[in-house]
Amino acid sequence: MAPQLSFAWFAWRNLWRRRLRTLLTLCGIGMAIGAFVALVGFSRSFEQEWLKLYESSGTDIAVVQKTFFNTSVDESAGTKLRSLPVVARATPMILNMMDITPEINALTYGWKADSYELDSLTFKSGRRFRDGQPELILGDLLASNLNKTAGDTLTIQGANFTVTGVYHGGSALEASAVILPLDQLQQIASLQGKVTAFHVRLRPAPAGDSAQHYLETAEAQIEAALPDLRAVPAAERASNNQLVTMAHAAAWGTSSIALLMGILGIANTMAMSVFERTREIGILRALGWRRWKVLLLIQTEAAVLGLAGGILGLAFGWGAMRVLSRLPQTASIVSAAFPPILLLEALGAAILAGLIAGAIPAWRGAHLSPVEALRHD
Amino acid sequence: MTNSAQAVPILEVRELCKSYDEGRIEALRGVDLTITAGEFVAISGPSGSGKSTLLQLIGGLDTPTSGQVLFQNSLLGTAVDLDTYRSHHVGFIFQGFYLMPTLRAIENVQVPMLASNGHAKDRAQRAEALLVEMGLGNRLRQYPNELSGGERQRVAIARALANSPTILLADEPTGNLDSANSARILTMLVDLQKRRGMTLIVVTHENDIANAAPRHIRIRDGRVEGVAP
Repeated sequence: MAPQLSFAWFAWRNLWRRRLRTLLTLCGIGMAIGAFVALVGFSRSFEQEWLKLYESSGTDIAVVQKTFFNTSVDESAGTKLRSLPVVARATPMILNMMDITPEINALTYGWKADSYELDSLTFKSGRRFRDGQPELILGDLLASNLNKTAGDTLTIQGANFTVTGVYHGGSALEASAVILPLDQLQQIASLQGKVTAFHVRLRPAPAGDSAQHYLETAEAQIEAALPDLRAVPAAERASNNQLVTMAHAAAWGTSSIALLMGILGIANTMAMSVFERTREIGILRALGWRRWKVLLLIQTEAAVLGLAGGILGLAFGWGAMRVLSRLPQTASIVSAAFPPILLLEALGAAILAGLIAGAIPAWRGAHLSPVEALRHD
Repeated sequence: MTNSAQAVPILEVRELCKSYDEGRIEALRGVDLTITAGEFVAISGPSGSGKSTLLQLIGGLDTPTSGQVLFQNSLLGTAVDLDTYRSHHVGFIFQGFYLMPTLRAIENVQVPMLASNGHAKDRAQRAEALLVEMGLGNRLRQYPNELSGGERQRVAIARALANSPTILLADEPTGNLDSANSARILTMLVDLQKRRGMTLIVVTHENDIANAAPRHIRIRDGRVEGVAP
């Protein structure tokens, strides 16, 4: 059968003519998309882990100060909170990031021994900690990284704690976390009487009331009773807390710079390619190709470069996320899960980068005079 | 061809002028010419005489500074869109062949057909038929650098015929060929012109081609110096 020439094949053959240049450009856009996938994937994964954290424990609302990082909520507010009719359980907690060893830092939670959130953890060995005792429990991933088991001793901030259990949690944020009695964490962090937030489990919604309406009613009741605090639905808390917002901003900021570099790489390649093929473009015009068709050919080449680089970048990014999810330094805040939407976004960003990069060279190529182009050496 | 068919003008050139460099270089200085459908015309002249410029204007590759080119009584660039004219009515053959180096012979012939819509299979079949007609049935999958000069020019001729043009324009088609290949290409072009009833306009400085054409137009200093017979 006679070989058939398609538009896409023609574009690919043009790219493949300068293999080294094409491959280097692919590496450039691949690295850019890889950075996008890894960073945005990292921040998305971080957000997802937050959501899982609340979902697995059954927390409906977090009651916090207006600023996230402050551990400045008065623990005594719990009494008033628990007295509200909509509140079934309200448990105080501290969230902090601590250096466990010089190499490993981990999310550190301070919980009460009777916190309902402990019920969501599955103990692989040992038991829960007790209030008032220098005891703690470790997530299974952190325990593995620290090589600790139940019965071992762990020193945090100069104080010795007995590891009473190793648990498995529903979120990577728990799997690489350390949880110790609230009073013990308050003591070593000099935060007596203060907590980061109250996690609230609501009573079941009355019959006929929608979940959303009930949640809004509960928020209003809590904020009316405790006007200095904010009642934030768990889902919003997961996606809109300052840590996640910062992670998203850093991820998008850094990947935008990487993408810009990738765009410049493709633009350079396409500009060189159009210059080198000036006469060929003249021939295409002489053979009856319209301007838009020439433009389409060059833009197709740029988009193919972007798409191929995007696929390469997905592989880079996926590899990077796998590595990050295993590194002790980052395992606590990222999982290797690869959201499908990220795949589409990455490929979309790659193709868009190609089209942006190819726009000017394509316009130049399409507007070459056929006669001038044919004279070009 | 019948006499009545030959009498129909397919191209009319009126007072055609083309200048470059803000008028400092005058390539054409008022050329008048009528070419009838199915005619074989040779245009010759010394280097810089304006013969290639005339071919470019007739082929719709460029626009004149003043004057008109009419295709079937319609003004080129106004009544007839130049892109449409080039893709549907004109086939170009160049001295330097100008094949796409990354494409096989059969793919090169399909390039003009990509300008319009159609099925890939039909394009490939037509390209194969044209190459077979050019005696290149066994060279379909060769890249240009694997072909001899004569073979390349035959691929270029097949490419020029891809969209079934009514006019074939050749600019020094044998300029890069040895005498044996030149003779073969000339025979092929004349044969094509007769069999297909195409209008063939060849710019050349070679006497063999000029003498083979029933009409020979000589250009000098941008003007028609003489027409034979």
